[in-house]
Amino acid sequence: MTATAAQRTTPFWTDESSGRTRAVFAAEGIRCAACSRSIENAVRALPGIERVDVNVATARVCVDWRAAETDLSRILSAVSAAGFKPVPLAGEASVEAFRRERRAALKRIGLAGLGMMQVMMYVFGVYFARPDAMDPAIASYLRNVGMLITTPVLLYSGAPFLLGALQNIRQRTLGMDVPVALALCLAYGASVFNTVRGEGQTYFDSVTMFIFFLSAGRYVEMVVRQRSLSISEAVSRSLPAFATRVKVDGSTERIPVAGILRGDRLSIPKGGVIPVDAALAEGSARVDESLVTGESTPVRRGAGESLLGGGLNVGGPIKVIARHDVTGSTLATIVSLLERAQSARPSIARAADRTANLFIAGILILASGVAFVWAMYDPSRAFPAALAVLVVTCPCALSLATPVAVAAASTRLAKLGLLVTRADALERLARIDTVLLDKTGTLTAGGLSILSTTLLGDVAKKEVLAVAAALERASSHPIAAAFESHADAAVVARDVSELEGRGMEGCVDEQIWRLGRFAFVAELFSPRVAASHGDGLYLGNARGLVALFELGEDIRPEALRAIEALRELGIEPVIASGDRAESVERTAAALGIALARARLDPTQKIELMREFQGQGRRTLALGDGVNDGPVLAAADVSCAMGQGSAIAQAAADLLLLNDNLDVIPRAVATARRMLVVIRQNMRWALVYNFAAVPLAAFDLVPPWLAAIGMSASSLVVVLNARRLANPRATA
Amino acid sequence: MSILFVLIPLSLALMGVAVWALFWAIDSGQFDDLDAAGRSVTEDDDAESPRQAP
Repeated sequence: MTATAAQRTTPFWTDESSGRTRAVFAAEGIRCAACSRSIENAVRALPGIERVDVNVATARVCVDWRAAETDLSRILSAVSAAGFKPVPLAGEASVEAFRRERRAALKRIGLAGLGMMQVMMYVFGVYFARPDAMDPAIASYLRNVGMLITTPVLLYSGAPFLLGALQNIRQRTLGMDVPVALALCLAYGASVFNTVRGEGQTYFDSVTMFIFFLSAGRYVEMVVRQRSLSISEAVSRSLPAFATRVKVDGSTERIPVAGILRGDRLSIPKGGVIPVDAALAEGSARVDESLVTGESTPVRRGAGESLLGGGLNVGGPIKVIARHDVTGSTLATIVSLLERAQSARPSIARAADRTANLFIAGILILASGVAFVWAMYDPSRAFPAALAVLVVTCPCALSLATPVAVAAASTRLAKLGLLVTRADALERLARIDTVLLDKTGTLTAGGLSILSTTLLGDVAKKEVLAVAAALERASSHPIAAAFESHADAAVVARDVSELEGRGMEGCVDEQIWRLGRFAFVAELFSPRVAASHGDGLYLGNARGLVALFELGEDIRPEALRAIEALRELGIEPVIASGDRAESVERTAAALGIALARARLDPTQKIELMREFQGQGRRTLALGDGVNDGPVLAAADVSCAMGQGSAIAQAAADLLLLNDNLDVIPRAVATARRMLVVIRQNMRWALVYNFAAVPLAAFDLVPPWLAAIGMSASSLVVVLNARRLANPRATA
Repeated sequence: MSILFVLIPLSLALMGVAVWALFWAIDSGQFDDLDAAGRSVTEDDDAESPRQAP
C-alpha cells in the first residue's frame, strides 16, 4: 500500500470553523516507543502540525493539522519516509494489511524455528565432544554449516530488528531494537570470525534462538494489537454491506456501501437501513433514527428533508440521494470517537516509555562497562558477558506492561458491548466509588407500560384492554407497545386512523371508539365538556368514557441486579433526574436506592457532582440525552448509552452500545483487575531486570539462556494481560 | 565419520523442503483463520449458491 493509495481511503475530516483537520490511520512496522517517536518527529517537522499521537499497542497514528498549511499526502509521505507504511483503517484494505503483516511474521518465525533446530543439532556435537575426540576437520565443517544456516535466518527473520535499529540510529533515538541488533551483530560477527579462523567459540545457536524467541514474542503482540483494532470495525458493522443504486436509466445495481458517492440515488426497501446521511428524493418516509439520535419514536420526513445514516426505514420503500460518502456520515463519527481512544496513549504508558528509553541507554553503557572490566581480569570472558547483558535485559516488558493490559481489557469490554473512547478512561473507571444515574432512558427503558386501569363504565377490564389494544395495533407510537400484550384476536378494529398528537380512532363491533387525551375522546359524546381532566389516557365511545389508563415507564429488567452488583463493588448508586419527584421516587424505591434527586436541570446535576467531588468521591455519570452532555463532561468518568444522542456520546469516555446495565459493574470489575495486572506486569519487569543483569554481568548466564530469559519475560507480560480478555476469569 | 559429509547436506536439503512447504502453506492462507474450518462443519450452507461476503 503506497502513500497515495492510503490517502484515498484514510478517513479524515475537517472542523470547518477552525480549519483544523484530523486523520487517523494505522502504520505498519510500529514496534516500540522509539518507533512512535520517529513518526512523531517526522510528522512534526512539517508545517501546520498541531498534535501527533502514536499508540504503540494498536499501531494507530492520529494527526491534527491546520488544513491551510499542509495536506494529508505530505503527512503520509513523511510517515513512509520514516520507514513505516501508512494503512487506511476502514474496511478491506486494513484487513488485507493485517493479513500480509501476519503472513510475513509467520514466515519469519518458521524459518527461524527450523534454522534454530538444525543449528542446535550441529553444534551439539561441537559443544559436548571431549576436547580431543573430534576431528578438527569435522568441527570446522560443522561450524561452516552452522554459518550457512544462520546467515539467511539473520538476514530474513532478523531483518525487522536490524532495519528497526538502523532507523533508530538514523533518527538519533534509542529503541528496543538497538540493543537487540547490536547483540545479534556482535554474536554473529564474532562467530563468523572464529569460523574463518578455525578456533574459538561460535554463537550461531544463540543467534537463531534469539531471533526465534523475539519473533514469536512480537507475533503475539501483533495479534493482540490487531484484535483491539478490529473493535471499531464491529461498530461500523451496524451499517449494511451493500446498497442498491438507481442508475440514470432507472435500472438498479448492488454496490458496496464504501462505494457510495455523494449525489448517488439509492433505493431503500422497507425495513432497510439508510447507509449514509441522505436527502429524501420524493414522497414521504417514516424512519427510526434511534441508533443515531436516541429518539425512539419514528419520525416522518418529506421530500428534500435529510435522513441520518444508520436510520431504519420503517415506512414503505423510498428513494434517497446520498449527501456524503460513508466516511463523512454520522455513524462514522462514532467510529472516529473510538479511533481517538485507540490512537492516544494513556498517561501511565507515556511514563513507562520514558523509563524504557533511559533504561536502554543504561544497558548500552553497562554492557560496555562489563566488557571493559572483564577485559582486565579475563579477556576470554569479556565478550560472552557483555553479550549476555545486552540480550538478557528486557525494556520491552517495561514498555509493554501497560498498553497490552489496556488493549486486552478494552477488547473484553467491547465483547460485552462497552466501548472505551478515551485512552485513560479505564484507569479512572477502576477508581470510582459513586455512580450518578439519569432515570429516563438509563434506568428505565424508554418504553411504557400500564400502571393502572380505572373502569369508568360498565365494560369488563379484559374487554376494555382488548379494545384499546386493537385500536393501538396499527400505531408505531411507544404507547402502542404498552397495550400489545393485551391484544385479543377476537377483537378487531376497522377503519383505524391515527390523529397526530391526539390519539387513535377506530371501529370495533360497529361502534366508533377513541383512545387518547380527554378532550379528544369527549368529542365523541359531548362536545361541550371542559378539558379539566388529568393527564391519563382515556378510552371512550359515543355513550361516554369507558376507562382511564395511567401509563408509566418500564424499569429495565436488569437494573436491580446491576445496582446490587455495584453495591457489592463498594459503589454507591445515586439517581439524578430531571423528571417529576413522584416518578423518580417510585423508581428509586423499586431499586432500593436511598439517594435520589428529582427535578434537576443540567446545572444542578453538575453542582451535585461537584458536591460529591468536594467530598473526595469519584463519580461515574451514566446518561443518554442531549442535556446530559455537560454532566457527562464534568464527571470523573462518563458513560453514554449507545442509543443515546450523538452529543452525549461525543462527551462520554465510555459508550454502552447494547443498553445492558449489567455491563457497568462488570466493566468496573474488569478495570480494577486491569490495574492489578498493570502493577503485576511492572513489578515483574523490574524484578526480572534487576535480577538478570547482575547475573549476566558476572558471566553466569550463557547467551542462549539470556535469549530465552528476555523473550520469556516479554511473553509473561503479554500473556498476563491476555487473562483480562478471557471471559471465564470475570465473575 | 565421513558419512557426515553426505548426511548433513541431506539434512540441509530436507530443511529446504520444510521451509518451502511452510512458506507455501502460509502464502496459500492455511494459517489465516484456524477456527473457520472447525466451524464450517456446523454451518448450514449445503446449497450450491456462492456464499456472500458478510
